[in-house]
This record gives sequence, C-alpha cells and structure tokens, in this order.
Amino acid sequence: MYGGGNTFEPMKATGIENEDPVLLAEFEARIERGEKIEPHDWMPQLYRKQLIRMIEQHAHSEIIGALPEGTWITRAPGFKRKLALMAKVQDEVGHAQLLYSAAETLGKPREQMLDDLVTGKSKYSNIFNYPAFTWADSCFISWLVDAGAIVNQLANARGSYGPYCRALERICAEESFHLKYGHHCVIHLATGTEKQREMMQAAINRWWPPMMHFFGPPDKASVHSEILMRWKVKMSSNDDQRNQFLDMYVPKIWELGFTIPDENLKKNTVTGKWEYTEPDWAEFKRVINGDGPCNAERLAVRRTAEERGRWVRKALLTPKTEYVTPLA
Amino acid sequence: MNKSLDPRVNRLDLPQGELTPKVPLDQFGTFEVFVQLKEGKGYRHEGSVHAPNIDMAFLFAKEQFSRRLMCAGIFVAETRNVFVTGFTEDKDSIYNHISDDFPEDGEIENYEVFHLNKRGKQHEHIGSVPSKNHQHALAQAKGEFIDGPPVFNIWVIKTADILFTEEEDMIMWNTLHEKKFRDASDYKAADKIKAFKERQQ
Repeated sequence: MYGGGNTFEPMKATGIENEDPVLLAEFEARIERGEKIEPHDWMPQLYRKQLIRMIEQHAHSEIIGALPEGTWITRAPGFKRKLALMAKVQDEVGHAQLLYSAAETLGKPREQMLDDLVTGKSKYSNIFNYPAFTWADSCFISWLVDAGAIVNQLANARGSYGPYCRALERICAEESFHLKYGHHCVIHLATGTEKQREMMQAAINRWWPPMMHFFGPPDKASVHSEILMRWKVKMSSNDDQRNQFLDMYVPKIWELGFTIPDENLKKNTVTGKWEYTEPDWAEFKRVINGDGPCNAERLAVRRTAEERGRWVRKALLTPKTEYVTPLA
Repeated sequence: MNKSLDPRVNRLDLPQGELTPKVPLDQFGTFEVFVQLKEGKGYRHEGSVHAPNIDMAFLFAKEQFSRRLMCAGIFVAETRNVFVTGFTEDKDSIYNHISDDFPEDGEIENYEVFHLNKRGKQHEHIGSVPSKNHQHALAQAKGEFIDGPPVFNIWVIKTADILFTEEEDMIMWNTLHEKKFRDASDYKAADKIKAFKERQQ
C-alpha cells in the first residue's frame, strides 16, 4: 500500500518511432478495447521499461515503508495495537513480493531489482526518507500515507498491464484494514488527553510537507506522458491524485479538530479543486537524490539485512531449483 | 551515521563503510502457487514465490496467499515444470491447435490440466489425465475438455511434480477466523467521533 509509482523521472526519448507500426497499432487497439496486456503479448520497449520502473519502485516503497512503521511494533501501546501493526507490516512486505513478481513477468529478475534498491540505483517513495519520531508519526503513516497510496493504487489498478492489475487488486483488498486501523489510531489520540492531541497535531505538522510531495511534482505536458496515459500506464496526473486525496481526507482531519499547517489550504467552490501552497519541490529533489534525514539509514538497514542473511540463503540453496521468469 | 531513532537499528550495529559485494544472481528458483478457497471448490493459480526447494515454496505460499481469505488448500509446482501451450483469442479455443500426435516415450502417470478461460484472469485447475508425457496429456485433455467453452491457454503439470496440502497440514488454517485484527470491521470508531463532536459543541 505504500504506492509511489510516480517518483520516476520521465525518460528523454520515447523510441516509439523504432517500433513496428502494425504491432503497435494492434497493441494500442487492444488497450483501447479495454483488454489487459499479458506477459506473452507484444509490447513496445517504452511500455515495458516504464512499467518495470514503476512496479519496481512501488515494490521498493513497500519494503522501505515497512521500516518506519516496523520501528514502532515493540513500542505500540498495548497488545492489540502490536498485533495489528505487526500484521500490517507483514502485509506490506507481502505486497512487495506480489509486486516484484508482477515486475518479473516483464523480464527483470527480482534479485536484480533488490540489488538496484540497495545500491541506490532505483528509487522508492520519498516520504520514507523521513523519520517517525513518535507513536503519532506511525499513526499518521498508517492512516494518511496509506490513504495516499490507495488513491494511487486504485488508479493504477485500472491500468493496462494484467499482472500489475491483479497484484493491485489483491493489495487494495488487504489495504482496507490498514486504512481503518490507521484512522482508528488517530481517532484514539484525537479524542484522548490534551497531551495525546498535541502529539498527533505535531505529527501532522511534521508530515504534511512530505505528504504533499507524495504524489510527485505537477506533470509537465509532454509527448511522453501523453503516450503513457494513452497506454494506461499512468492513469491520472499527479495533481489530480493530490486533489483527490485532499478532497477525501482534509475534511476527516479537520473533523477531529486538528489543523493543517498551510494557511492557503482551501477548496475552491467554483472549480471544485483544492488550493494550497505549492510544496517545496527543491527539497523534494534534494531528498529523493539521497540527501534526506533517513536515506542512508534505510539503505544501510537493507544492505545489512542482505549481507547478514546471506548465510541463511546459502544454507537453503540447493542446485535442484532454477530461476525462471514466473508465468503470470 | 547518527544514532538512529529506531532502537532496533541501533542494536543492529550497522557496519561503517562498504559491505562485501554479493555474488550476482544466486537467487532461488520460482514456483507457481495454486489456491483452493473452499473445500470442494476448484484450485486457481494465485501467483508465484521464490524458494530454494518445494517445501519452502509451500511455506512461503501459505504466508503469502492465505493470510486473509479462508483457504482450504494450496499446492505448488516449480515454474519450469509447468508445460505451457501457445495462446489463442476471441472464440478460437487452443484445443483446435493441439495435435493428436504425441511421442510414445514415458510411463503412464497422472498429469494435472489448467485452463485459462478468460483473458486477464487466472488459470483454473480443470482435472487430471493419465498420460505418458506432457504432449500426450494435452492430446488426452483435448479429447476430454474440447467441448466446453473456448480455452485460450493450457498449463500441464505432472502430478508427481506438485506438492499438495496433506490432510494433517490443514490445521495451519484453523486459527485464521480468529485473526479479526486483520479485518477492517474490527476498527469501528464512528461512535467515538460522534461523541467527540458533541463534546465540542
């Protein structure tokens, strides 16, 4: 559920002029008819590349996103919260596996993707480069970061690539518990003592800027994004997703008596769109390129897990199995 | 690196500097997973897992595909043991393209047959046929299943290449219905919000 199929930088050339025009027309007609593209179908290079990037980054976001929440399992208030948070974190890691499998059907092995994660070659959702200081931060992630991801995932689930859609359907079904659980945690703090309310308000203040970054910078109109929209790789613009998120969740935050640290935030009753202070995109760029508060720690944890778990994999490895691309 | 906010990360004692690079592509094999939601219902392909052997694949499949919905059975087969036909479209059944000829080598054994009935959906288990080899199994399946609705792709797996759920394994799903904390309905809070709003007025 951690979403994030929107952090990639657009490619320079589409390469579409090198594709076979007959095959390309059949491919586009299939998408036009609302059919899914399956692994055995012909597809343009750009489609394959962009989907691998998108699904892979989504998978990485699930793995890395489990870290700031996982931090809080041992300190979650009470047995029930511990159980729930543990189940949620397990779900997220399971989602990563589903997504890696979907990306693998496009021809990039899972291990290559995991390597590209730990070497910093491929990205993950930028929001997880920020720390979860208090329990309330973890509640913010469970409720609102998940909510943002669901907006993104529900859109992508209507996309054109079969294996990705099937993985997302499964993921979205599991997400419904995450969202309710997160909301439940926030309501508990909101209706609690003054101290609990202050803690939650402080978390909202901390997480609002990265939350606004979450959906990515406004899309520039380009041939590239026009093609990806037509091929149903990208299902809606970053700004549309941000607007949808604000529309669904700002009233729910306000209803609990919290404030949002943006004095310009309001819904324009004429256009029906939300107006807000443009987030600091220079910071977004700086953090996504490695200079955030937690980038180094997140990757170091993954790298160490890889290295220290190596003997286990080695002990289990038998020459009897063989890696091949999964079927569907 | 600064001291982490995460006590577990501090306990990890993260090494400074470079780690030993890993050997490339030492990854596990892939297995296809089939799930039965209810006793008596058919098995359906659910996805794949990576595992060092078929027993571990079964365990990973249980963790990955039976955390939520009730599950009556799982079976797994290594991906390379799945024999896959070509694909057809529209009304054209793949059975129209299956040859009745097959090589004569092999002993008679059971083979499991899976149909793709709709583009974009998952393969479903349809039955098993005693055959000498995969090709023979396809020809046998053609005789048995060609009269149904069109099939767009077929998988055939030798029954001996599959690890099935044993009767005694099924207790692992006994507690599934007790795990309400995985269900959205366990987190009702509308009353709390209502009471909160009333207090504010």
